[in-house]
Amino acid sequence: MAQPVLELQHVSKRYGDKPAVRDVSFSVQSGQVLALLGPSGCGKTTTLRMIAGFVDPDEGSIEIGGRDMRDVRPHERNVGLVFQDYALFPHLTVEQNVAYGLRQRGGAKGAIAKRVREMLALVHLEGFGERRPVGLSGGQQQRVALARAMAVTPEVMLLDEPLSALDAKLRQELRFELKQILQAARCTTLIVTHDQEEAMSLADEIIVMDHGVVLQQGSAAAVYRTPRSRAVAEFIGRANWFEGRLGVELAAGLREFVTAEGSFVVPGGSAVEGTVLQVCVRPERLRIIAADPPSAERLNVVEGTLASAAYLGSEIHHVVVLATGRTIVCVEQNRDQALPAVGALLRLGFRPADCILTA
Amino acid sequence: MTAARPARDASADLRRRRQRQRFADDLARLAVGGMIGASIVFLLLPLAITLSMSFDARDYLGTFPPTELSLRWYEKFFSDPYLLKGLRTSLQLAALTALSATAIGLCAAVALERLPVRYAQLLIAVFLSPLIVPGVVIGFALLVFYARTGVDSTFARLLGGHVLITFPYAIRTVLAALGGIRPSLVEVAQSLGASPTRAFWSVTFPLARTGVAAGAIFAFVFSLDDVAVSIFLSDPDRYTLPVALVSMLHANFDLTIAAVAVLIVGSSIALMLLLDWVAGLDRVVGANYYRT
Repeated sequence: MAQPVLELQHVSKRYGDKPAVRDVSFSVQSGQVLALLGPSGCGKTTTLRMIAGFVDPDEGSIEIGGRDMRDVRPHERNVGLVFQDYALFPHLTVEQNVAYGLRQRGGAKGAIAKRVREMLALVHLEGFGERRPVGLSGGQQQRVALARAMAVTPEVMLLDEPLSALDAKLRQELRFELKQILQAARCTTLIVTHDQEEAMSLADEIIVMDHGVVLQQGSAAAVYRTPRSRAVAEFIGRANWFEGRLGVELAAGLREFVTAEGSFVVPGGSAVEGTVLQVCVRPERLRIIAADPPSAERLNVVEGTLASAAYLGSEIHHVVVLATGRTIVCVEQNRDQALPAVGALLRLGFRPADCILTA
Repeated sequence: MTAARPARDASADLRRRRQRQRFADDLARLAVGGMIGASIVFLLLPLAITLSMSFDARDYLGTFPPTELSLRWYEKFFSDPYLLKGLRTSLQLAALTALSATAIGLCAAVALERLPVRYAQLLIAVFLSPLIVPGVVIGFALLVFYARTGVDSTFARLLGGHVLITFPYAIRTVLAALGGIRPSLVEVAQSLGASPTRAFWSVTFPLARTGVAAGAIFAFVFSLDDVAVSIFLSDPDRYTLPVALVSMLHANFDLTIAAVAVLIVGSSIALMLLLDWVAGLDRVVGANYYRT
């Protein structure tokens, strides 16, 4: 494998006696887009600030381009920063903003002007050069910030919550645009975000963090399909949970799982019988089924009353309360099906393959 | 129907209570309005009387509406070498004070921004303390201090005193201006390759410029205005205009004082308007000082 552009090894940081980041290790390959995903206060921003050089790690090492960053000041590193508030210089024009980093590095006026034009073209802001940041929309400001950071061809781009300052609809549009710009420039990028959709749509790989620790690293699909723990499953997407004990082996690769809601068939594990585990079922894997399910398919079934339903357009969310009091969310695609009335008794089915076993 | 009766009683009761409440509100509003009016009269009446006196043609302190108007006191001021000398010293002093206090205030504010909040607040309290020490005390203390340390130049003595009393204003305005600058701006500048010093001059300073200018104007005005400290530090050869006026008040009272007072008030107002135009007064006195 090629030398990674950014590599963190056993990095830790504590503020007073409160650990902010604990033994974090990961690496970003050239051209890769990686997302650090986690709730606020999980240590992802501290990690970003350590990479940028504003915070010194207590332990561990950070290497950028194979160079140890110990005692290297922020302005001596070659990283591109895009903050959540974009941090455009209000007293400078768009052009001067983009040229700022180039000016610090010195270089001929003509070369700088040429590079600024290139960058503005890349982010589709030709003709905005003379304007001040104040007059620009949120999306335009973000693109100026991107162009400014990319102008100096940083070894790694660091984006701090790049889209969360925008409203939901604009966010979706810009997510696509941001991805295109990053791909066009082949930027090695680390995105820090608490928004799972942002992470899943922008990044090649996701690192889920909580309480200063890396919980799991993998592609969006891998992390969603096989979350290593309940915390990961709950953070990436929504999840329904059943607690129970692992039972006997029913068939090749299938085990019994005994819960208060009945006994289910789940994919087999090697754990001994009687092990207490949790089963996660994603809301979209649950189906509302008729009273007599077709016998050909082996389905786990739970019954409950519909407590509420939300008609969201493309999807319909059903909240079902089981006899044990457990609340289950079932998401169906809107195919113009008949909507059950609130209070109706519903049967929900899910396949053994849809069960994710976690400790 | 009988069930509705207590309800009607309750609503009548409510109406009465509401009326009483309104009456109390009106009374309070009237009282506040009265107080505001009284304060305005209290503040402005002496000014108005001074203004009218400065145009009074009579030789003595006459009864209020002047019988005749003239510019003689203004003419007298501009032909009085004693007062003009004071004016020249005052202007030189104010300009130099503004420059020094602002420069020191800028340095101190930048340092304070980087300190942990707890220490910064402690130091701010120390820096602002000249505001709560009476000028007379500062003046006397400085007089003793200068005598012991051998600072002989009267102008240097005055400058030290004036910087001391105007520096709190400069530091407040610069702090307010710095507080309005998002830290992410400086961090981005550094990530783009600007050393902390270059980031300061290319980002922080241009953004704080209005606050710095405001601090300078404040310092200028307060220096021009000071009597309490200057009176201890002046000597018969080197004195500020306000000190000259006070000594004139003792020697031979005439209405030149009123004319000078009007000129000083007028130029102060002009500078404050300039300040408001440059930076916005509410911002200058620290509207965004307590940022979150």
